[in-house]
Amino acid sequence: MSLVRIENITKRFGPLTVLDGVSTTVEPGEIIAVIGRSGSGKSTLLRCINGLEPIQGGRIWFEDQLVNDPATDLRRLRQQVGIVFQSYNLFPHLSVERNITLAPTVVKKMAAGDARGLALDVLKRVGLEDKIAAYPDQLSGGQQQRVAIARSLAMQPKMMLFDEITSALDPELIGEVLRVLEAMAKSGMTMMLVTHEMGFARNVASRIIFMHQGKIWEEGPTAKVLGSPATPELVSFLGSVLH
Amino acid sequence: MIRDLTWLDFAYLVYAMRWTIALTALALVGGGLLGFVVAMLRVVPLAPVRWLAVGYIQALQGTPLLAQLFVFYFGFAIFGYRVQPWVAATAAFSIYASAFLAEIWRGCVQAIPRTQWEASAALGLSFGEQLRHIILPQAVRIAIPPTVGFLVQLVKNTSLAAVIGFIELTREAQITTAATFKPFAVYGIAAGLYFCICFPLSELSQRLERRLRVAR
Repeated sequence: MSLVRIENITKRFGPLTVLDGVSTTVEPGEIIAVIGRSGSGKSTLLRCINGLEPIQGGRIWFEDQLVNDPATDLRRLRQQVGIVFQSYNLFPHLSVERNITLAPTVVKKMAAGDARGLALDVLKRVGLEDKIAAYPDQLSGGQQQRVAIARSLAMQPKMMLFDEITSALDPELIGEVLRVLEAMAKSGMTMMLVTHEMGFARNVASRIIFMHQGKIWEEGPTAKVLGSPATPELVSFLGSVLH
Repeated sequence: MIRDLTWLDFAYLVYAMRWTIALTALALVGGGLLGFVVAMLRVVPLAPVRWLAVGYIQALQGTPLLAQLFVFYFGFAIFGYRVQPWVAATAAFSIYASAFLAEIWRGCVQAIPRTQWEASAALGLSFGEQLRHIILPQAVRIAIPPTVGFLVQLVKNTSLAAVIGFIELTREAQITTAATFKPFAVYGIAAGLYFCICFPLSELSQRLERRLRVAR
């Protein structure tokens, strides 16, 4: 069964239609890179999946939960779908450890000792176990983003969403974050990423979704979509990002 | 019989300061508790509740404090309730303070970036958990300087309680003036005593503000 089913969704911000009849599915273990020009609806699509953005039409299913049903427990859904943002959004008043353990202890009622072990565990996965006592403002952008990834991982989600997570980073810090993503991809995590890193998308993604004007313009296996784009819009987009 | 202004009068004025301080403290506690509730109602994701809180704040910020005092002191007397001056003053100042503190604190809560709400929602925290663990701890830090600033206003405004016969610093000064007929000296001393309370508070507020800029 598909992990996510998106059926003909529409999203409007006032008079502006951001998503216009978008349908797709996400299978367990897939790594999907969502590409497209800014304003094409990529980030909005991602944010609809865990209910951060309400939709005006269509349906989104996560397993057997209808995301856009008011009766759905979004809190439960969000424990299963993690999201990492472009601007990290760490909690500045909390240590790295507490940033990570807060949701497991508060939402999942995990014991403090277990949560600390979990924090160490996820920090190891992003290579930052020595920063467990640091505060966010003592870390570089790349380190903050890796902590944000660790914070999401600590909820042990079934799927992770990444919303342009390297776009705010200095070029020399992008590599360390991409390496964490690659390791996660190898571990079998289902991932959906909005990204401008075409090299990364080419190497890691199993499928590409190209969005244009609020629609899925092209989608398919990575090699096929990037190797032989079918539409002039994708040809022109690839031309503009590769040069 | 007009008598001289003596050190004893000065001592009485200093002694009356305790009621100014007590009234301020009571209003701060009462207004703080009520104001916190109103500030939270002002940010809940339920529009009718927010409107109710806005109405409360507007009604109190848009009417003179003196009128509010009269309502509590004389207003209830019409219905046969005799209200003690200190009860009326405490109630009126608490409610007055709650409206201003609610608005100050609402601003502090809304000064926390929307992305902090989003990030905590994405981790599955409920509205109450977001407030308690993420938003309020950050908002409290920025709320301290303006809250202390308002406290200075509150200290000075308690002088209005003199008109309903609550014997605090200003009322004591009126009484002393009546006996000595030295208004310039007596009110000058009273003003100086207010300054002695307010100046340290203003200093504290500025120090906290400076510290805030360097603190995490």
